[in-house]
Amino acid sequence: MSLLHQRTGPLTRELVLEPAGYGLGHLPARLKPEATATSVCGYCSTGCGLTLHLQDGRAVGLSPTADYTVNRGAACPKGWEALAVLDAPDRATMPLLRSAAGRLEPVDWPTALATFTSRFKAIQERHGREAVAFLSTGQMPTEEMALLGALAKFGMGLRHGDGNTRQCMATAVVAYKQSFGFDAPPYTYADLEESDCIVLVGSNLCIAHPILWERVLRNPHRPAIIVVEPRRTETAMQATLHLPLAPKSDQTLFYGLARTLIENGWIDRRFIDAHTSGFPEFAAFVAGFPLERVAAETGLAAETIERVARLVHAGRRVSFWWTMGVNQSHQGVRTAQAIINLALMTGNIGRPGTGANSITGQANAMGSRMFSNTTCLFAGRDFASEQHRGEVAEILHIDAARIPDDAGWSYSEIMEGILRGKIKGLWVIGTNPAHSWINQNQCRDVLDRLEFLVVQDMYATTETAQAADLVLPAAGWGEKEGTFINSERRLGVIRKARAAPGQALADFSILRLIAEAWGCGEMFADWNSPAAVFQILKRLSAGQPCDITGIEDYAMLDRCGGIQWPFSVKASPFSRDSLEERSLQRSGDSDRSSEIGASEVCDAPASERRLFADGRFYHNDGKARFLFEQPRPLPEPPVAAYPFLLLTGRGTVAQWHTQTRTCKSPVLRKLAPAHVYVELNPTDARALGIAPHARVVVESQRGRLEACAVLTNTVQPGQVFIPMHYEETNRLTDAVFDPYSKQPAYKACAVRVRGV
Amino acid sequence: MSVLLDRLLGEQRELTAVEQFAREDDAGALPSQQTRYSRLLPAAPPRAGQQYGFEVDLDRCTGCKACVTACHALNGLDEDETWRDVGLLVGGTAANPLMQHVTTACHHCLEPACMTACPVDAFEKDPVTGIVRHLDDQCFGCQYCTFACPYDVPKYHHAKGIVRKCDMCSSRLAAGEPPACVQGCPNEAIAIRTVDRHDVLEDAEAGSFLPAAPDPHLTLPTTTFRTARALPRNMLPVDYHAVSPQKPHWPLIVMLVLTQLAVGAYLVGIVLERFLPQQTIAAFRPLHAGGALGFGLLALVVSVLHLGRPQYAFRAVIGFSHSWLSREIVAFGVFAALASLYAAGAWLAPGGRWLTWLGWSVCVTGLAGVLCSVMIYVFTRREFWSLPAVATRFLLTTVLLGVAAVWLSLMVLDVAGEPAARQIVERTGTWLCRTLMLAAAAKLAFEALIFRHLLSRRATSLKRSAALMAGPLSNSVMARFAAGVLGGLVMPAFLLFSSGDATAGPRAEMLVVAALLFAASLGGELAERYLFFAAAAPPRMPGGLRS
Repeated sequence: MSLLHQRTGPLTRELVLEPAGYGLGHLPARLKPEATATSVCGYCSTGCGLTLHLQDGRAVGLSPTADYTVNRGAACPKGWEALAVLDAPDRATMPLLRSAAGRLEPVDWPTALATFTSRFKAIQERHGREAVAFLSTGQMPTEEMALLGALAKFGMGLRHGDGNTRQCMATAVVAYKQSFGFDAPPYTYADLEESDCIVLVGSNLCIAHPILWERVLRNPHRPAIIVVEPRRTETAMQATLHLPLAPKSDQTLFYGLARTLIENGWIDRRFIDAHTSGFPEFAAFVAGFPLERVAAETGLAAETIERVARLVHAGRRVSFWWTMGVNQSHQGVRTAQAIINLALMTGNIGRPGTGANSITGQANAMGSRMFSNTTCLFAGRDFASEQHRGEVAEILHIDAARIPDDAGWSYSEIMEGILRGKIKGLWVIGTNPAHSWINQNQCRDVLDRLEFLVVQDMYATTETAQAADLVLPAAGWGEKEGTFINSERRLGVIRKARAAPGQALADFSILRLIAEAWGCGEMFADWNSPAAVFQILKRLSAGQPCDITGIEDYAMLDRCGGIQWPFSVKASPFSRDSLEERSLQRSGDSDRSSEIGASEVCDAPASERRLFADGRFYHNDGKARFLFEQPRPLPEPPVAAYPFLLLTGRGTVAQWHTQTRTCKSPVLRKLAPAHVYVELNPTDARALGIAPHARVVVESQRGRLEACAVLTNTVQPGQVFIPMHYEETNRLTDAVFDPYSKQPAYKACAVRVRGV
Repeated sequence: MSVLLDRLLGEQRELTAVEQFAREDDAGALPSQQTRYSRLLPAAPPRAGQQYGFEVDLDRCTGCKACVTACHALNGLDEDETWRDVGLLVGGTAANPLMQHVTTACHHCLEPACMTACPVDAFEKDPVTGIVRHLDDQCFGCQYCTFACPYDVPKYHHAKGIVRKCDMCSSRLAAGEPPACVQGCPNEAIAIRTVDRHDVLEDAEAGSFLPAAPDPHLTLPTTTFRTARALPRNMLPVDYHAVSPQKPHWPLIVMLVLTQLAVGAYLVGIVLERFLPQQTIAAFRPLHAGGALGFGLLALVVSVLHLGRPQYAFRAVIGFSHSWLSREIVAFGVFAALASLYAAGAWLAPGGRWLTWLGWSVCVTGLAGVLCSVMIYVFTRREFWSLPAVATRFLLTTVLLGVAAVWLSLMVLDVAGEPAARQIVERTGTWLCRTLMLAAAAKLAFEALIFRHLLSRRATSLKRSAALMAGPLSNSVMARFAAGVLGGLVMPAFLLFSSGDATAGPRAEMLVVAALLFAASLGGELAERYLFFAAAAPPRMPGGLRS
């Protein structure tokens, strides 16, 4: 009978679930862990905790960590699939060197290192030391970034180096630095739960930071959610009020809002007087933004703008959040500061549920901001300051003369430097400019001009690696150790729970080998493990706003579920420091004075801490500054020949940036469209005779692509949207940059569309 | 240097010491977030007249698709295997555009089509919880459930040769633990609720399931999609206009065409015999019956290749009471047995009168098999596979290839120097040619009718089929019509109009004409059947963006 009707057997048993222990509920028996360990996720800056399920020390599965403050048991598809991408067949497993025949061929490490040093040194001898530059990433642990920054600038004498973080949060960095006196996102994620009015600007949380949207949904105060965004995104769908404004008119909108708030007296005079400077000038400036002007320039109704002002005024705890819609703009810094100004003038900063808050992009963008030694000297210092150089030289026991006295070129200036023949050698680590850099055709031409291009990456198949002269195989997330710092300044640990394939090495190890081969290994004798470098970083941070001297080691980070900076040794156990700490668990909607961190004695810092509770900012006068400027017109507005404005952005949760990693997971591949598509308003499509799902050509002055037309009212007439994840997208974009942050303005250029 | 390199390479292979970071198992069996989940689970087990059902709060589904990956990871699914899908509806107006992501999995229907269709009873519906569970070890991989389910829920696993599907994490539920998707959704959009079966019926009656989803009447799905918003009437899946050819299932194509050829051969043969003298019959019958049997057996062998686990083919009988596939297999099984007897009889005693009766019973069981084949596809309720459409195709194929098979037999007889061949052609050649031409013309015309749907303003499923045939499948369509015209019209016309001449002429000519007639007809029908599968736009839940 069982042969005729077999109710159970080996196939059934494969999927039988058993209690797995470790608070994980049921799991398939073959995946039952013998131990678990927590690691923070390596994709975006949310910084979710992931519990690795270990068998014999090796991760066989993972699940989001239930008791991690950030994500509380949830993860997005990228996090769930973080291990799957490590097994891809196109992992780089050996160093690859371009042969005389022009092919990348495997070589051993000594050959690769010898070639690396001899070629780069030869270029430096012929063209000067600054003729070799590096481009790094926001995806590496802080310890690796720090070693890279120190090795390249102090050891190898490179002058120019930047990160791909330039593409995502440079604007926020400059905006904060200028406004607050230090690059300091003031918030903690709990603010999303504490606000009664949440303003999201150019931020599609539901798709870009789904776990932060989870936090919004946990807000018990039924907050008004205002979404400022040209498209009707998933997040806009969830909004109380969606402002589908003209692209890049947000700066004007915020000035208009400021004027309306001032006119109505809806401002916090006491806070402005005590804690800010430049308000009178700002008030005079925004007087030039009457509602009629703002309505005309943003395309929004005057009543809508007034309604926003009323909502902001009515909110007792208003938080402003921005992402790439602001940062990737030709006037991003001033737009971000227009947001900061709103928070300052309404006193919405330093209290629970408030803040002018930048949500950054990459897992360790914040680590890069503090410790990559590129745009700022270690721990937020200034290369130009002799005192700062002296401090660093002393802490690192190096000759201060080895520290360059300026930050060197930004990403765009490095690219331009190659074009002008100033840079002949480039070392690219964990990023993919041939895909991601703006105006791609020009970018590839630029890369082709290099005498020697080194790419250090997990995969040998990225567009940039394919163009390289030398590829160094790197271990990835899950195969190495270190710390990440997330958007809310939280340090978290990553684990080595998988062996790297072949001879791939952690970037940390590669850097040590390069130091050795270059002949400056002695200088980094103390930098012999990520854990050791963490101690060096602590020393570098001492007394800085991003002080982390109170964090003992990785084990403490693990124990506390991550720790936000600042956490100085003075603050542990909490004494009152220059920055106030307070525990949200005890927070009510009490008045400001009672929130200022009363000293508390405990083993660990409060799990959610924010900055500026005492209204003291980092400028010497302790005040925040109102910074503003006349909005500038779009660099490339639509014209008759190119009548559409191209918006770019994130497509789906399952795709990460250039898809270098996410396209390696079969499941993530299923969850995103395989090929490039363009979203087009049905009215425009009808006028162009484009049917749903038809093939169309999208062209800008710089390039063209062919895509599948998706017709949707979620993009406005006259605009089209193409996700950034597809290789073709940046053929169209226009290399325009914010003048202060040098961040590329990916999100607005003129294109035309026609049927194939 | 090399010392350092070796050390670093060595270190790279060492994993972070377990004792350094690993947590002890002090947390018990249930997931740590039990309190959070409790409101997403029913307070009490279902009472009589109730069962469990998924409830999706559309207002909370933002399309992050974490549910898909959570299900994949926590259930230990293979590679790209997923049991949950997330689709997207778009609509609204320029002033108020709307998009709605929709997460769906198995709907644990009141009348699961997968269960009715399954020939081996590999599905069972739990009498208490209503969960539709798949018995992986019972499944033999016929994939009929993947045709039958309007929601594309059972997924075929190639490597294992079986179908697998969502069981609402029944073992988790039994332990008071939420299913993986419920745990995985950051927004708490998915919950398990008890539903009244009566309410499910009522909802299906009112057609209120989900915009643009397959008609809930078909299977009575128990998932509830909740929303506080009024979804506009123009909500359409974002993949609504995307058409892509379906998997063709080659063994099924060959099996269908060859079984119909075999049945047709017997049928036309036995009708033909009524017009022939006994002597001629005795010459014709053994070869023709043998040939038809050969094709029939080949069809059955090929059909077994379609099974993921052919060694369990014998299980197919147990679903006879409800599964058309099971009935088809039984009918063709009897057909093959009777046909073997008949062929043996034809060789041993070609003139026996009882053979005629046996021949008719072969035809009857064969036709019964063909009708079961028809019903297999009709049961799926795809418009392209409606009863008139499938019955017309299959029966005309039977006649058409039956005649073609007779020509093949006649050709072989002729080549073998058997004079009966010429006699048969003289007596019935015209009749055979006309029948073939009539059947072919009718069939080609019927098939071409699909293109009228291109004129439809609505993107009906038949218009999708037509669009597929006019677009991505157009080469196959050309080949199909070319072969159909050649084998079914040109060749018989040639035979007809050179009447006497061709057949009276040299043997080589007869050989070429009849061989071409048969090959083109057979090729045409295979191509037709390929299109039958490839162009059948299945009903589907709203899908995601495809490009």
